[in-house]
Amino acid sequence: MRRGAVLLLFLSAALWPGEPAALAPLDEASFHRVVASAKGKVVLVSFWATWCAPCREEMPHLVRLESALRAKGFQLITVSADEPEDAAEAMAFLRKVGVPPPAYIKHTTNNDQFITAVDRQWSGALPASFLYDRKGRKVRSFIGEVDLKVLEAEIRKLL
Amino acid sequence: MRRLLSMGLLFLGTSLLIAQHFKLGSPVHDFTLRDTSGNPVTFQSLKGDVTVVTFIATKCPISNDYNTRMEALYKEYQGKGVKFVFINSNSTEPPAEVAEHAKQHFSFQVYKDPDNVVADLFGAQVTPEAFVIDKTGVIRYHGYIDDSRNESRVQVQGLRNALDAVLAGRPVQNAQTKAFGCTIKRSKKST
Repeated sequence: MRRGAVLLLFLSAALWPGEPAALAPLDEASFHRVVASAKGKVVLVSFWATWCAPCREEMPHLVRLESALRAKGFQLITVSADEPEDAAEAMAFLRKVGVPPPAYIKHTTNNDQFITAVDRQWSGALPASFLYDRKGRKVRSFIGEVDLKVLEAEIRKLL
Repeated sequence: MRRLLSMGLLFLGTSLLIAQHFKLGSPVHDFTLRDTSGNPVTFQSLKGDVTVVTFIATKCPISNDYNTRMEALYKEYQGKGVKFVFINSNSTEPPAEVAEHAKQHFSFQVYKDPDNVVADLFGAQVTPEAFVIDKTGVIRYHGYIDDSRNESRVQVQGLRNALDAVLAGRPVQNAQTKAFGCTIKRSKKST
C-alpha cells in the first residue's frame, strides 16, 4: 500500500505538465533510476532546501535556463533536502518560482548513504548541482553557488 | 645562490604547509584565531587532552538548530576534560555579530577565522561541522554533530560517539560522517 502511494507520488511528480503536483520522495536507489530515466537529455540535478538562502536565490535563474534550453533537450530536476515537515513550504516555493517537474524531496533513513550515492566527493553542502550528459554520465559537479555563465556554457556544450 | 635556493625551498615548504588540509588520522599543527575583540588566540592555548573544533554560523538555520545541542555537549563534556573550540569562518558574519550571537545562545566563546584560513586548513565546508582531536594532536573524527536537523529523528550521535570512544581510548567506529548544513561563506580572496 505504501509502495503504491509512493509510486503514485513519483508518477504524479514526473508527469505533471506545468508544475510539480507534489514532491516525490527520493532515496538512494530511486535517485539513480531518476537519472537513468532521463537518458537522451542533458540533465541538471539541483539539490536545494527552503532554509538555504543561496539555493533560493539561484533557483529562478535555473528555471530561466531550463525554459530557454528545454527545446534543445535540457531538463532540470530539483531535489529538496528539507525535512518531511517542511515539504509543504518547499512545494510552495517551487510553485512561486515556477520550477517545472520533476521535483523530489530527499527521503532516506541514512543521510550519509544518500549523499555518497549522489556523489562520493559531495559533503552534502547546499546548494549542490550535478550535470549529466545525454548518456546519463555525470560530467560536472557544482558545490555551492553555481556560476551561471559557466553552467550555461557547460550545458550548451553538451546539447 | 645556495641561500636563495634554500629561501625558495623554505617558501615552497611554507606554501605547501599552508595549502595542506588537516586530514582524518593525521596531526594538526598550531593555528591562530581571533577573539571577537580582534586579539590573536592560538589553538595551542585553547586545546586540551581531547579537543572538539566546530565550525558554526550566526545566520545558518541548520547551525542554529544545533545551538542547544552544542551547548549541552559543551556542558557535559567539558566536565570530562574535553576542550571545545568554536569557530566562525563566515566572511559575511562580523566579529560583533558573532559576539552577540554567542552571548544570546552559548556559555562558551566563539572565535573568528579571518579569511577562512583555518576552515581551509581543516577542509571544513559547512556549518555545523565538527572535528575531534586526541591528546596526540591527531584528528579522530570529522563530520556531523548528529545525523538529523530534527532532534526527534536523530539516530546517530556522531560527535558524542566519537568523544566517548576517544575518551575511553577506543578507535572511533564511524570516524568520517557527512556534515550537512550551510556552506561556509569564504572571503573572495581565498576562493
